[in-house]
Amino acid sequence: MDLLAPILRDIELLARPALFNLYFALASIPAGFVLAIFLAMGKASANPLISRLSQGYIYAFRGSPFFIQLFMFYSVMLAFNQTVWKPWGIDWFVLHPLFLGPAILALNTTAYTAEIFYGALNTVPKGEIDAARAYGMSKGQTFRSVTWPHLIRIAWPAYTNEVVFLFHATALVYFTLPVIGDQKDLMNAAGALFERDYNAFLHFSVAAGYFLAISLAIFFVFGLIYRRLMRHMPQPPRVRFAPRWLG
Amino acid sequence: MGDDIAFWWGYLTNGKHLSWYASVHYTLIAALLGGTCALFFGLGGAGLRRSRFAPFRLIGAGYINMVRGIPDVLFFLFFPLAFEQLVELIISQSACPPDVVATNAGTWPPCTAANWFLSSTEYLILAGVSLGIVYGAFTANVIAGAMNAVPMGQLEAGRAFGLTERQVFWRIHVRQMWVYALPGLSNCWLLLIKSTSLLSLLQIVDIVRWADRLGAPNFSRAAGLVHGDWRWGYYLALLLFFILLTFLSEKAFAALTRWAGKGMTLGSAAG
Repeated sequence: MDLLAPILRDIELLARPALFNLYFALASIPAGFVLAIFLAMGKASANPLISRLSQGYIYAFRGSPFFIQLFMFYSVMLAFNQTVWKPWGIDWFVLHPLFLGPAILALNTTAYTAEIFYGALNTVPKGEIDAARAYGMSKGQTFRSVTWPHLIRIAWPAYTNEVVFLFHATALVYFTLPVIGDQKDLMNAAGALFERDYNAFLHFSVAAGYFLAISLAIFFVFGLIYRRLMRHMPQPPRVRFAPRWLG
Repeated sequence: MGDDIAFWWGYLTNGKHLSWYASVHYTLIAALLGGTCALFFGLGGAGLRRSRFAPFRLIGAGYINMVRGIPDVLFFLFFPLAFEQLVELIISQSACPPDVVATNAGTWPPCTAANWFLSSTEYLILAGVSLGIVYGAFTANVIAGAMNAVPMGQLEAGRAFGLTERQVFWRIHVRQMWVYALPGLSNCWLLLIKSTSLLSLLQIVDIVRWADRLGAPNFSRAAGLVHGDWRWGYYLALLLFFILLTFLSEKAFAALTRWAGKGMTLGSAAG
């Protein structure tokens, strides 16, 4: 009991900070998902200008650390503070970490997700698109009913990984952006607890436990969605956990 | 125009900027040390994962899956702190008189004699090792997969030639494994060099910390406001530096893949 009590207390103390990490992830994932579709289409575009620009965006964001991206976008936003945000009266909003954090995360995950979608886009069989065209489908119809279903099924496992890594990247947000009041995330809160009693093993382990638990929850939910996406395919036999005593 | 160039040349080569350029060595050393450690941890982890002894296999699987659930920055901060505390605990066993420990209950270190001050060099080594542990798990996953990808027929051919199990393992299995592992190893290395931007979190005055210092608004009583907030420019330079590092790494790995795939008819894996 003596061993368990501090752990339970830490779990209680870190529950609210974990919500901030969840918020960062949940706020950036939908935006990144939608933007990535357009960016992937842009990279596959026949127009060399659009294709080059999309490639450059993806390469720049995938080739540089998210930590530096955070610093850079925050300092760019600060540089516009006196000339643009303040006169417009929106500085309290656009410089707020709860807006800026998800915005930069979304820019980052857009690039990674677009690369995944682009890879999946190339696996769509040419014949299926030809068939759709032969049926007289418009470009939008072809995308909706042929390309997209194929693309998302191929991309889903890799996208699951990307979402988990995006969730892990939320740990970096408050190392750069200002912490306002008690709006602390898991890393801040664990660091503050550590500075109080120098018990690194307890506090960081509980924070890691939160990350682990939420990551497993993401894998579980995305796995369910994957099963639903693949429901028309022959199902692999379910894993048996019960030992086979006979036969 | 000429004055402008002279001004910028002078500004960008003043003492502080030269220190900034010199601090790149922290990043490069951390990357190389981390990469070397990651390769060894990866080989060890893959060995455990493929062990015939079930408990070892379980440890290997646990290590490989650790990084899928825990952010790298958490481990990056935790490992040096934990290592420091462990060393201080060992020192305090011999260096601290019991009565001092009793009065200092609840604080750390137990007594001042047990306090271990780490310099940048020591933090750099610890950072390299913790990068090695985190990315070793990725590497272990890649190497375990590559070991499975070597065609069975190659190993059977080796056995048919009368090579011993050990010879088959080292000369055929491990030798051919590298070709299948290289694309994955390239990804691990790219992740690792991006993680070296976190060094400033361990109190190391690396390129990121210098950029922050140099770009901050500079005001001196004699000269007035020297420059405003130029941080965005410095961070943009860092961003380009890391993109360049990524670009060069990709080129190097492409050359390495061509070299390792020499004489093997692989098609896609060698491309």
